Amino acid sequence: MTDAVASVRLSRGPWATALRKLSRDNAAMVCLAVFCLIVILCLLAPAYASFANTDPFRSTLDATVEINGQQVPVMEQSTEGLGLGYTPIGPTWRLGSYFLGADNQGRDVMARLLYGGRNSLLIAGAATIITLVIATIVGLTAGFFGGITDTILSRILDVLWAFPVYLLAISLSIVLIAQGIDLGLIVLEAGSLWLPIFIIGIVYIPYIARPVRGQVLALRQSEFVLAAIGLGVPEHRILLRDILPNISTTLIVFAPLMLAINMLTEAALSFLSIGVQPPDASWGTIIQDGQGLLYTRPWVALAPGIAIALTVLVLNVLGDGLRDALDPRSKIRLGGD
Amino acid sequence: MLLALIRRFGQMVFVMFGISVLVFLIFFVTPGADPAARIAGRNASPETLEAVRKSFGFDQPIWIQYLTMMKKIFITQDLTSFVNRGWKVVPAVFDTIPVTLSLVIGAAVLWVVFGMLVGILAAATRGSIIDKALMAFGLIGCAMPVFWLGEVMNLITQSRYHDTWLFSWVPPLGYKPLSQDPKGWFLTLVIPWITLAILYIGLYGRVLRASLIEAMQEDYIRTARAKGLSETRILLRHALRTSLISFVTLFGLDFGALVGGAALLTEVVFGLQGVGKLTYDGLQNLDLPIIMTTVIYASFFVVLANALVDIVYILLDPRVRSA
Amino acid sequence: MKKWLLAGAAALLLTAMSGTSFAEYKAEHRGGTIRLLAKSAGGSLDPHINYTLQYWNLYQPTYDGLVTFKKAAGEEGFKIVPDLAEAIPAPDNGGKTYVFKLRKGIKFSDGRELGVKDVVASFQRIFKVSSPTSGSFFAGIVGADKCLAAPADCTLEGGVVGDEAAGTVTINITQPDAEFFQKIALPHAVILPADAPAKDAGTDIIPSTGPYMFTKYDPNKELVMERNPHFKVWSEEAQPDGYPDKVQYDFGLSEEAAVTAVQNGEADWVFDEIPADRLGEIGTKNKDQVHVTTLTAWWYLPMNTRLAPFDNEKARQAVAFAIDRNQMVKIFGGPVLAAPVCQVLPPGFPGHEPYCPFTKDPGAKWSAPDMEKAKQLVEESGTKGQKVTIIAEDRAVSKSIGVYLQSVLNELGYQAEVKPISANIQFTYIQNTNNKVQMSITQWYQDYPAASDFLYVLFGCESFHEGSDSSVNIAGFCDKEINDKMKKALELGVEDPVAANKMWAEIDKAVTDKAPAAALFTPKHLDFVSKRVGNFQFNSQYYWMVTQSWVQ
Repeated sequence: MTDAVASVRLSRGPWATALRKLSRDNAAMVCLAVFCLIVILCLLAPAYASFANTDPFRSTLDATVEINGQQVPVMEQSTEGLGLGYTPIGPTWRLGSYFLGADNQGRDVMARLLYGGRNSLLIAGAATIITLVIATIVGLTAGFFGGITDTILSRILDVLWAFPVYLLAISLSIVLIAQGIDLGLIVLEAGSLWLPIFIIGIVYIPYIARPVRGQVLALRQSEFVLAAIGLGVPEHRILLRDILPNISTTLIVFAPLMLAINMLTEAALSFLSIGVQPPDASWGTIIQDGQGLLYTRPWVALAPGIAIALTVLVLNVLGDGLRDALDPRSKIRLGGD
Repeated sequence: MLLALIRRFGQMVFVMFGISVLVFLIFFVTPGADPAARIAGRNASPETLEAVRKSFGFDQPIWIQYLTMMKKIFITQDLTSFVNRGWKVVPAVFDTIPVTLSLVIGAAVLWVVFGMLVGILAAATRGSIIDKALMAFGLIGCAMPVFWLGEVMNLITQSRYHDTWLFSWVPPLGYKPLSQDPKGWFLTLVIPWITLAILYIGLYGRVLRASLIEAMQEDYIRTARAKGLSETRILLRHALRTSLISFVTLFGLDFGALVGGAALLTEVVFGLQGVGKLTYDGLQNLDLPIIMTTVIYASFFVVLANALVDIVYILLDPRVRSA
Repeated sequence: MKKWLLAGAAALLLTAMSGTSFAEYKAEHRGGTIRLLAKSAGGSLDPHINYTLQYWNLYQPTYDGLVTFKKAAGEEGFKIVPDLAEAIPAPDNGGKTYVFKLRKGIKFSDGRELGVKDVVASFQRIFKVSSPTSGSFFAGIVGADKCLAAPADCTLEGGVVGDEAAGTVTINITQPDAEFFQKIALPHAVILPADAPAKDAGTDIIPSTGPYMFTKYDPNKELVMERNPHFKVWSEEAQPDGYPDKVQYDFGLSEEAAVTAVQNGEADWVFDEIPADRLGEIGTKNKDQVHVTTLTAWWYLPMNTRLAPFDNEKARQAVAFAIDRNQMVKIFGGPVLAAPVCQVLPPGFPGHEPYCPFTKDPGAKWSAPDMEKAKQLVEESGTKGQKVTIIAEDRAVSKSIGVYLQSVLNELGYQAEVKPISANIQFTYIQNTNNKVQMSITQWYQDYPAASDFLYVLFGCESFHEGSDSSVNIAGFCDKEINDKMKKALELGVEDPVAANKMWAEIDKAVTDKAPAAALFTPKHLDFVSKRVGNFQFNSQYYWMVTQSWVQ
């Protein structure tokens, strides 16, 4: 008797077990650290801007910067040949002084990169939250209540899902960015960051709602739920206490994945000029700025691309690690749990 | 079985109807989307404007305009663009299909072959440095934004290193029809194929590796091992079959979406006049007939792919069939 | 380097103006296919409908009108010469009647001979298809009012009368018009076969009379022009023969890709604006293939005079003072490609007298912005702190200018935002008052060289239409005194062009002072051609004369 009791008392809860497993996963831990580093660096954007003494949102085509003791104009006129065109300076590789060079408005690319990261992460994060919340509600409702509710919701999800994601996002953006939304209750101005958040959040709802619905459908037939219904437990309590915790692992695993996908979508929309609006920056808008400088100053396009790739990469590894940690069927046997 | 098929078909039609209505509504409320003034040109008099508007049929109520457009797309197929008047949209879409197919099929071949290679190799050498390296490269592949990768490829192959032996074979951007110039067709598409495939190789490699590893834990594999079969044989002949299910379903969905024009960013960056680029241009110009036709075309393929994948899934996975 | 180009252009001008203005046709260069690139097609191919520079450029060697602009480079290109008519008729009936005698023996590309009935039908067709300028340029023809009201039954009775026996066409206008010949020289008045469809032909090709005809048009892929087998030169200055056998115009390539293609010799010319980051490159590596030509055009900033904050004149003037036009020039590509301006009429235009009030030392030229004065004006106007939205085009230069302007307005104390809109719809968007546009960035290129084309068309009361996508007086500017003066100048121009131009100069100053729009710069046109293109000739009205260049 003592052994059985002891083993029961010694067993940690599922969350603690998962956390322990995760902490043993070296790759996931490294990526978590990198992600936190990226977030912190981006949050420090205002600090960098004041350190570099630059306003990354103000066009300064006639600014100068000190290189080797001389004041060099940030926009250099082409002096050879016909003298056509102005080229912004390239990377100086000195922190606080046009580290990555200037863009075609004479602004410090490094400072913009950090501010851009803030916006990209903010938009992707907020959109992820919106998607998860709405998709959960929709999935729960459709899966649990079934019947006509399920049919209607499923058909709406079908339409949303079949509408090619990028097309839907682009269509909505083109229409809404020009004039904003005025639905009485919700009023969003044209340049607001909430528009891309709202759009990206909506288009990926089916991506999460369908698996959630599937899981809820299966759970609804499980014994403990049927027992609860039989006992007369009110529906909202069943949803909150029995079903929701069981789908929460799915949601947690999806979260970093969604974040990564949303970052890529936001970059694509901003690249097409229908995401973040000037003079705000996001990694996608900087890539677009860089597109026009690709042949002379490739770093303006390379830096944000690398930043996006790195962030998406670490989020994916983190997602994998979470999935491995939360999956009770994981074949990695750790001692003592 | 037949009933299920009919129900599926009905669902398809409903979804496409829903999408067409959605597109129509979205674009009807855009300001500046009224093409009459753009056609009438700058400095047109109000009478000219009215006459042009009438010839487009904008004075009709909205639901009549919708029905007219649907009739013109499906029945008479003489729907014309708002921006380039007289240009028949439906044949234009059909003309661009070969380009998209060339891009997508070529990329698909690449990513299926390499995805399988990567997945099998990683699963076979599981836990080793090869496995980790393959997964890392694969992840990097799907982490890069595809339009960025395309631009970088262009920078390298068309400009910076165009004169070196590495890339001097790369022809100028722009599609060359297979029937006219097979060598040019092939050379033009190599870089776009690689760009598009990189994204998916990583993804499919990971998916295959994951399902292979999961399959290798199953009981029937243990039985095969106990029977004395070699690991390679087990991996390739037993585990692979069941693992391919998720690979195939994912492939069906992605391929369907791409044929429908989801590769639009790749097409835009490489100057390939495919369905995706046509859609993008139409969206930029707010050319409703083009948008409507391409979106219906795209959603048709997505919905079809979904349905086919469901059917294939039923056929492939014996467990589902009996359920 | 700039001087070298100007000297070259001057030499060209001199040879052009010295009597025997035409280089003889060099038969050894005849033949080959010239390959042009553009990001997108230019819309309808119908010459009575199309209003884009892209296709007007191509109508030069394909279609003909009764008269045309001389196919010559430089200033000569502004002269009107007889084309399908034998000679420029002298005005009869107090300037209200012109009798044109048609040349004989001119054939369409389908073999039919051009006759009086085709001319009459073509003028009717302008109204039947609701040509964009039917209500503005051609409303002066007798019978036009009935045609505008009921386009489908247009007969232009009494307006355009044909006499088959004498082979003449008589055009009657309601009032004398100094710009009459220029108007009928435009592509909207070219002569088409009488049986051309009475609606926008769109992608269908209409037979033409010039040395080339269109043979294929797919707006998503290409436009092809080939030699007209029935063409024979009837006038060197109106319609000379061309060198290439075929013009292949391909659509779809991005600007960057197109520039690379021209550099590699795979194409011969790019229509779109050269991306800023390639300018330095082509200016050095390919400098012999770059042609920079002065234009009569301007980039400007219409400010809505009927909406806050720019209904206040001081606010508008503040903006005009605050803009650093040198930075605009930098964005556009440097002083070789653009020059700052302050007034409406571009340099070199009839009626232009250099004038710049919005600079540090007001006088004839712009020197530097006056930020202090600008801020002071903003304070005086009481509009400080208000929200302003700038509408730009979704193209590299326009967007960059918009972002820069946002910066300037913020410095002035406003809360500025910039919205780039797709280039295809921006121009109509900013004209419609329903969109409540406060400030926008746009350009205007001349239709033909007359001061009214800038001042009256852009700032006259009659060019403003409430709630319409076609209200090219974007600023909504309407000053009765100035408007009356403009009408007087138009009338005066019929008898005494010199005096009229003096009046236009005064009007220019008056309008500039009120600042309904802030002038930015006058652009030069940059053409980038491949190595093999020879004999580059730029006509100031229709730009590069494609078929006058050879490729072999």
